[in-house]
Amino acid sequence: MRTRDIWRRQPRLLRIVLIRLALIVPQMFGVTLVAFLLIRLLPGDPARLILGNFATDESIALYREKLGLDKDVWTQFAIYVGNILKGDFGTSPFTSRPILEDLADRAPATLELILYAVICTVGLGVTIAVVSVVKRGSPFDWGARIYGFAAGALPDFLVALLLVFVFFYLLGWAPAPFGRLDLMLNTPPQVTGFLTIDSLIAGDFEAFRSAAGRLILPVLTITIVNAGAVTKMAHSVFSEIWDSPIVGHMRACGVPEQQIVRAALRNSLPPIISVSSFILGFLLGAAVLVETIFSWGGLGQYAVQAVINSDYAALQGFVLVASAFILVVYSVADILYEVVDPRIRT
Amino acid sequence: MASARSSRSVFARPGLVIGLGLLALQFIAIVFAPWIAPFPPTEANPLDSLQPPNAVHWLGTDEIGMDIFSRIVFATRVNLLIGFAAVALSLGVGVPVGLLVGYYRGLPSALVMRFFDFIQSFPVFVLGMALVAVLGQEIWSVVIVLCMLFVPMFARIVRAEVLSLRERPFIAAARCSGAGDFAIMFRHILPNAMTPVIVQVSVSIGMAILLTAGLSFIGAGVRLPSPEWGLMVSSGAQQMILGIWWIALFPGLAIVLSVLSFALLSDEAKRYVDTGRGGRAR
Repeated sequence: MRTRDIWRRQPRLLRIVLIRLALIVPQMFGVTLVAFLLIRLLPGDPARLILGNFATDESIALYREKLGLDKDVWTQFAIYVGNILKGDFGTSPFTSRPILEDLADRAPATLELILYAVICTVGLGVTIAVVSVVKRGSPFDWGARIYGFAAGALPDFLVALLLVFVFFYLLGWAPAPFGRLDLMLNTPPQVTGFLTIDSLIAGDFEAFRSAAGRLILPVLTITIVNAGAVTKMAHSVFSEIWDSPIVGHMRACGVPEQQIVRAALRNSLPPIISVSSFILGFLLGAAVLVETIFSWGGLGQYAVQAVINSDYAALQGFVLVASAFILVVYSVADILYEVVDPRIRT
Repeated sequence: MASARSSRSVFARPGLVIGLGLLALQFIAIVFAPWIAPFPPTEANPLDSLQPPNAVHWLGTDEIGMDIFSRIVFATRVNLLIGFAAVALSLGVGVPVGLLVGYYRGLPSALVMRFFDFIQSFPVFVLGMALVAVLGQEIWSVVIVLCMLFVPMFARIVRAEVLSLRERPFIAAARCSGAGDFAIMFRHILPNAMTPVIVQVSVSIGMAILLTAGLSFIGAGVRLPSPEWGLMVSSGAQQMILGIWWIALFPGLAIVLSVLSFALLSDEAKRYVDTGRGGRAR
């Protein structure tokens, strides 16, 4: 009873964050277990599979010892977790570098891409939904409905290829889909890893133009494909609030239309936040496809290379990092969700 | 009279007509593929490579001279087989699990639901491509990956229905007349819980087709030379930059139309259920 009182007296935000943090630990444990078991599904000797065909017997024996393959599976898992906690994800036989370094090098590229993509996706989706609810029955509303429906059937890789064909090959407006920066330009010194921000910090506007220009098509691809789902969801949430008595009351009181829209939007935020986080998690998968087409050099392309090369250690590292990232995103979204909606009791 | 009215309502729904039309086309392609396709789907003819659409090769040829139209037609078999198999298997597992978990509420049920939460918290595509890479690039690996996605989904839907149905008076009546748990679940609850599942089936087939194509596109799915839509788009991806558009575009359109047909049908099914439930007198 006493501890509960102390708990209740803590600020609401702190309580929400603490609960979420407590939930992350077992989930992270599960994620690690799945990443571990993934390699165990492989038929054959994991050490030989991870090190590849050209490894010597000695190095395989050494690696077996490091993985603890002569011990039972739970000891092996404990060793794996121990290595992960030390930051040792193993070494990729294809890049001959520690996997954690490989992943850390490539993460900013992917993060930059999906961050801009999620902003555009949610921004566009919510805008379309709001306009089509406010102007119900207009041609815009009909167009939005058809778009919301059809966008779900578009494969992102096809949209990306068509954009490349039209804007690079036919019109020549877009740069070639080869990476994040023009090959002739120097990469600005790394501060955040986001080229658009680093180039501005370095005052290199040419690099900024190039980096931003190369972001347009991939971000546009992801936006076109995913904004439809956001539109659909935001439409149903927002229209419910738009039809509620509060809005009628506000209108009767002579509140300006713009202010009503803002108030209604504020009330539809919680579900929009949770869907945005879901989209962000989903985009990590979509980024794999889009990165491949635009030779983006991020995590997704690394994972595809790992699949093609049967580089299982790298794949394992990618699954672990990607799942952990999504876990964090979902947790942040849950926290925001509860913070935004004061009706949720904690 | 009744048939006239229903036929009129069928044609008043463009979504239904388009959806059914596209579905029929796909079934024709599946059944009559060898007769429709002018060339064998895996026959490479390097002398005819990279031909634009013409009178002989209606949709052109790819870089090793395989006829794109024939491959698209044959790929319908592969893509729809994967989609149907995955959804059927997931129904077979997910529906009974959902029934049990909804009917018996206890620690095991709670654990199963937490386990589903956990699976669903994984990024689908990331886990999918890792699993296919590990299990081997076979059709059945793709099916297993899709099942991991769909089983929790179906189970969740059924469970939600069961939770509300099990408190209804007709279940109490069945129990009073001596029906056992098993009979109540499968004879009384299940038929009433299936409607939302049926709506979801069609959408899921579309999702399965999209995911399969995506996995094959990055090389973690069906392998060459099998005709598969995502794989065909992928083999045309490099050519797209050089302005050779037909290799990737046509199979891509096949994916769009196929997914669209299942989405339309699901939407129509949902509308039918929504109006039918309220309007029908029982």
